[in-house]
Amino acid sequence: MLSLMVCELMKLKRSKIALISIWGIMSTPGMMFIVCLQTHFEYSERVLTLAGVYENGLLYMMLLTNMMIYIVITAHLFSREYTENTLKTILPIPISRNKLLMSKFFILFLWTAILTFLTWAGIMALSGIYHMMFGLEGYTASFGAVWLVKYLLGSVLIFFTLSPFAYISIKTKGFVAPVIASAVIVMGSAALCNQNIGAIYPWTATYFLAVGKVQSTGYPVFLVVFMIGIVSAAGFLLTFYHFEKEDLK
Amino acid sequence: MEHMIETQNLTKRYGTVIVVDHINMHVPKGKIYGLLGRNGAGKTTTMKMMLQLVHPTEGTVRLLGHDYRDESKAPYEKIGSIIETPGFYSNLTGYENLKIISMLRGGSEKNIQEALRVVGLEKETRKIFSDYSLGMKQRLGIAAAIMHQPDLLILDEPINGLDPIGISEIRSFLLELSHEKGTTILISSHVLNEIEQTADIIGVMQKGRLIEEANMAEFHKRNRKYLEYEVSDIKRVAKLLEKEFQITEFTVENNRVKIYDFSHNAGNINKVLVENGVIVSRINECEENLEEYFSSLIGGGSIA
Repeated sequence: MLSLMVCELMKLKRSKIALISIWGIMSTPGMMFIVCLQTHFEYSERVLTLAGVYENGLLYMMLLTNMMIYIVITAHLFSREYTENTLKTILPIPISRNKLLMSKFFILFLWTAILTFLTWAGIMALSGIYHMMFGLEGYTASFGAVWLVKYLLGSVLIFFTLSPFAYISIKTKGFVAPVIASAVIVMGSAALCNQNIGAIYPWTATYFLAVGKVQSTGYPVFLVVFMIGIVSAAGFLLTFYHFEKEDLK
Repeated sequence: MEHMIETQNLTKRYGTVIVVDHINMHVPKGKIYGLLGRNGAGKTTTMKMMLQLVHPTEGTVRLLGHDYRDESKAPYEKIGSIIETPGFYSNLTGYENLKIISMLRGGSEKNIQEALRVVGLEKETRKIFSDYSLGMKQRLGIAAAIMHQPDLLILDEPINGLDPIGISEIRSFLLELSHEKGTTILISSHVLNEIEQTADIIGVMQKGRLIEEANMAEFHKRNRKYLEYEVSDIKRVAKLLEKEFQITEFTVENNRVKIYDFSHNAGNINKVLVENGVIVSRINECEENLEEYFSSLIGGGSIA
């Protein structure tokens, strides 16, 4: 299992998607910085706080920019063995199909966590620049660390909602269907993130949980967790079942 | 005789379409088994079932004496394979691709270097796989298949894309593996000449069925020899053969007659034909080759 995970990491060597994903997620800190500057110059009476920047950043990360990037990464990890015809080389080694999938999910977990950390670090760095120029209330390392925990919790919750996209990737053996699905999901998230019903839409429910807004929606926490769990479980089960039973044509 | 591969009623069905139909194949230890068949005959699917890439609908496969469904995957550790065009990670070099396979197999650095040397890729250390030519890709596939010194090689069209020198090198290498190391090889190819030069046994598949399984020595023994005359008047020759020599085992094609009956001297036949006004422009003594045999078996046409 360990060697499978090491191999999954080796497969990313010279892979452009690793660099592209980092540039992609850096758009979140960048946008937060631009919003701060815009607010400062247009509404100078407003007091900006690090908490406010991180909360907005979390919204972008979990519902919009990062989510789309995480889905693209999922599609890359799970479909590349088909697009590059490598399964017929590695499965007869022999490699357990389940272990191969587990190693891919582990790398996906690791990758999303690293990108989430970089998003957090990017916000911290750009907020630091803003703080030096205009001052940002609550800008301390310890306060930032509190948000790091929230961001990483958000990353774990996002990971659980990515499993359906892993299934779509291996079912369709490519990028197109997962990317279209990601657009649909993100549109849904944008529409529901300010509504109470968003608490039971799995891809916004994760955000509601991470920022502790579930109580205010009136939905019980167990229902929110159940909705995330059911989508996640369905995604995992379908992925493992399909891959195990699949004939490589 | 010990068999490295043995299938019993091996069948693959997709819906109502039968791709492989109850085949019983026997690949003896230490031999090279050439699998022939036209496109869509079921060769690749059969090999994929042996390698657990495709799940059989019916029947069993025994590899190195073990049922393929056994919990132990030990037999697969002694098998090397290439299925059609080899698949590797395009962003990695040949060495890095082999390194991944070696790590998963638990192999050593020495094995990787040796395999690259054997296929002549030891100097291509910086080129990534996507920049490889078709021949180089095929060579890397062969390197991956032989890297762990397997007892059994399952090779589907391994010489695709290789130039004539590359084909010759790989042929020599496979023969050396079989004769000196006792490696058993199951190989499919569109190039009948290659199979004829390397295989000890041939299996012929048509429409999913294994319609022939024969030892090459027996094949050569039973292959029909014939006398071929190129003549000016084919109708007159046919009459003369029946009337003067009582020969009925012959075929005619354009201005050529093939005589399979060797009870009469070729010179005598020629003399009678000439005396009866037939111009004989050529006489050859021939033997059916694998291509002719294959064509007659599956009803003619190209297999490519």
